Amino acid sequence: MMAKSAKISGDRPRSTAALFGHPIHPMLVPFPIACFIGALLTDITYARSANIMWANFSIWLITAGLVMAALAATAGLTDYFGDARIRRAPPALPHMLINITVVVIELFNAFVHSRDGWTSVVPTGLTLSIVSVLLLAVSGWLGGSLVFKYGVGTPP
Amino acid sequence: MTRAWQCWLALAAAALAGCNDGGGNFDTRSQIGPNPKLPAPHQYLIPPIHIATVIGWAPGEHPIAPPGLNVQALAGDLQHPRNLMVLPNGDILVVESQGPNLDPVTRPKSPIIGWIESLATKGSGGGGPSNRVTLLRDANGDGVPESRSVLLDHLFSPFGIVFADNYLYVAATDAILRYPFTPGQTRITARPTRLTELPGGPIDHHWTKSLALSPDGKLLYATVGSNSNIVENGFEAEHGRAAVWEVDRESGRARLFATGLRNPNAPNFYPGTNTLWVVVNERDELGPNLVPDYLTSVRDGGFYGWPYSYYGRHLDPRVMPQRPGLVARAIVPDYALSSHVAPLGLTFYTASNLPAQYRGGAFIGEHGSWDRNEFNGYKVVFVPFAIGRPSGIAQDFLTGFLDGKGSTRGRPVGVAVDRAGALLVADDVGNVVWRVSRAG
Repeated sequence: MMAKSAKISGDRPRSTAALFGHPIHPMLVPFPIACFIGALLTDITYARSANIMWANFSIWLITAGLVMAALAATAGLTDYFGDARIRRAPPALPHMLINITVVVIELFNAFVHSRDGWTSVVPTGLTLSIVSVLLLAVSGWLGGSLVFKYGVGTPP
Repeated sequence: MTRAWQCWLALAAAALAGCNDGGGNFDTRSQIGPNPKLPAPHQYLIPPIHIATVIGWAPGEHPIAPPGLNVQALAGDLQHPRNLMVLPNGDILVVESQGPNLDPVTRPKSPIIGWIESLATKGSGGGGPSNRVTLLRDANGDGVPESRSVLLDHLFSPFGIVFADNYLYVAATDAILRYPFTPGQTRITARPTRLTELPGGPIDHHWTKSLALSPDGKLLYATVGSNSNIVENGFEAEHGRAAVWEVDRESGRARLFATGLRNPNAPNFYPGTNTLWVVVNERDELGPNLVPDYLTSVRDGGFYGWPYSYYGRHLDPRVMPQRPGLVARAIVPDYALSSHVAPLGLTFYTASNLPAQYRGGAFIGEHGSWDRNEFNGYKVVFVPFAIGRPSGIAQDFLTGFLDGKGSTRGRPVGVAVDRAGALLVADDVGNVVWRVSRAG
């Protein structure tokens, strides 16, 4: 507890991509997170039902997730390169790299999901969706650390 | 921190190593004939899309036929001519047609595919009125029509056309229409009877419905293509599709004659027999050399694989649930034409204008590939027949559509034989009907 408050006290790392003092990155990240988790759920439903409607939901969710992830990444990268104190926070680099990895995996996943029929999901698409969601849990935790432990973007 | 970078780069490199495209050196001729070589299926990450840009025919240009044969434009300035039929009096009917464009956007991929297909038909009749039947009259048989008229128009994506007993049967994309008609007429004003409803929209992915008349003249055979590449629109969308229908010409009563034919076209009875033949467009996105399109005889009650399998019992991994019982009786097609050549026209040659070697064989219009890096098709081929069966390797008959620089002047579709015995070829993006006859 002591260490935590020590890190957070004093000079807080500043968010460069902010709107009226509110960092934009945390406003956008729920969209890709929800979309990619949603795509995992519709993938599972398709794998259990073979009803093509669910596979179609998956590819729309992945596409929407990628679009929103691009926006979230733009804000996140602006913050990362906008303040050296953010770059010095230990969770910042792995948070960024894992998120970029998720975007790359989901981009592959979008192409796999654009195949026709069963193999658009089973097994490769479903596997990529699972890996993405697991990675998101890790990078989400690290992102939380940046705010709650290191006070990134929080008011002094 | 550098460790994090190193881990990430190693992962990215491993992922990239996993994606190359396959294809390589493959002899497409090994897929012509009764026993095509079938490579292992290859599912793409990014399917190749390579379609020849249409540049049209410059004045004086024409496709190239074997030596001793003359190629001339029977008619130009058509609007996407797709199919041809010659009436007993020698009048030539040209079916000009545009697809109904009813494919809904079901996935982000849909608009991309739609855009590519629009490239395929680009330059096809500068937006003039299509979906009609044009009548060409060449009474003296010299290949220069004396008159031209619009026999029928405002049709719904027509393709098949057959004449019997003073009725003209036209297969629109959603129904077989029957018009009272006497050869010699140049305009039909009578309203048609809707003889039989065919699967049209929604979706209507493969929309060309072609027609044949049975040798005894009592029955019609209508082809109905699948509503998808490989059931990606769901099984419900495929009811009555990927099939040849048999239709009673009087009552319109219909039944499925054969099934499992993904996109069958140009049904024709082999002359002097009761054997029906069709050309079939097989499935996409299993690799540049899968699955070969084919020419096959069609057996009553026969099942030819789609969607579950191809070339007999080669299972398609994209179809779930599978139907092992049905696949067990899947018929192997008679004659492969090579992959993605897109055969849409077929006619058996029984006339005598062309050299004797062509008599009894099949001319096939190959519209040409769009989903492999090397073009395939874009020509009319000849398949020799003996005793009513294909008897040799397909020969190029009409070429010169491709310009060798990634563009094409036209694309052949329907083929027919005129009263003088010349071969007619509908070129749907060149907007020409070509006539190939003995020179001199």
